[in-house]
Amino acid sequence: MYVVADIDEEICGATKCRLCTQFCPEGNTILYDEVRGTAYVAVDRCKGCEICVGICDDLAKHHAIKMLGINEIVDGFEISKVGFKTTLVESKPE
Amino acid sequence: MSLETIKPSPGFHNYLPKEYQDLIEDGPFHQKRKVSELGSFKEAIEEHPMCAGCAMTLFIRLVYLGLPSLEHSVIVGTAGCGRLAITQGAVPFIYGNYGDTNCVASGLKRGLDIRFKDTPKDVIVMAGDGGLADIGFHAVMHSWFRKEKFTTIMLDNEVYGNTGGQESGMTQKGMVLKMAPNGKKFEKMDMLGLAKTSGVAYTARISPTNPTKVVNTIRKAVLIAREVGPTYIQAYTSCNIEYAIPTPKVMDDAREVEKDRYGYLEYFSDEAKEYWDKSEADRKKARKAQVK
Repeated sequence: MYVVADIDEEICGATKCRLCTQFCPEGNTILYDEVRGTAYVAVDRCKGCEICVGICDDLAKHHAIKMLGINEIVDGFEISKVGFKTTLVESKPE
Repeated sequence: MSLETIKPSPGFHNYLPKEYQDLIEDGPFHQKRKVSELGSFKEAIEEHPMCAGCAMTLFIRLVYLGLPSLEHSVIVGTAGCGRLAITQGAVPFIYGNYGDTNCVASGLKRGLDIRFKDTPKDVIVMAGDGGLADIGFHAVMHSWFRKEKFTTIMLDNEVYGNTGGQESGMTQKGMVLKMAPNGKKFEKMDMLGLAKTSGVAYTARISPTNPTKVVNTIRKAVLIAREVGPTYIQAYTSCNIEYAIPTPKVMDDAREVEKDRYGYLEYFSDEAKEYWDKSEADRKKARKAQVK
């Protein structure tokens, strides 16, 4: 079992700060959905370094990111399966 | 033209890996992307095997964003941690032998200038402190003496991180490492001073604490190298494994070191300053004209 970042989309959506997307060391791991206005994580790429948690808590002061065990995440986005998406709105079943 | 270069024939499109298709559809090639757009487009760097929370990875990711024209760039590197990520970028990468990166880059840049007279081609050397300050030292210095027009970027993690923690010329004096148990006996090499003395057009020292500043500095160095002469960027990219920095504290460490001894520093030669001021004024004028 390992941990990955999980973003509270309600808190994140209210801020639109995008700082975590700029400080994540991995490319296309914290993605930003322009339509929903929130960041989200590609769980298959996240290495669990927690830099984004520090950025969100200390720099942005939004406290929207928590580390969760991979088995606690339901329907996590996996970029290796579906590829890059500018938004997840269309791909989500209604 | 750039997007056309990477576009496959329509019949082959669906057989290409998803990552390649994404690069064509939402990649950074057809338009200049900003730091504030990160996360909203397919980045040039793919998944790679570098350690979790590595500051070097963050810096490399930002370098790809800072390159003024990705499609006309070639990166030269060598053994070391950095190449694990650089080889996964959508920019041609040449793996120089340890020590000869700047020789390879010199020949490559001259060759490209002859072959493509009308299109500026950027060559960027990106390697670690061992590859540039120790083993590649003579090649680096001579490329500067010869005023070769390319950018050298040092990913300075102050240790040989890939081989178990030996001291490098860039390690701080007194630092105790796994393979330097008595502590380093000599001062950190002053590569910025050497660059200035050898007539490098633009040098900068930076830590990855401000992504926009990193991107602007890379862009500046590559554009000056195109027109004026050699440029050099020295970036603090801590090794959280050999320096035992817990990954959540990597950015705190970068900020502390930046404040202490690695603050932002840039130096222009007179010629570089003149060129940069003029090109900035031209860009501002063009932007104003566009708004009108």
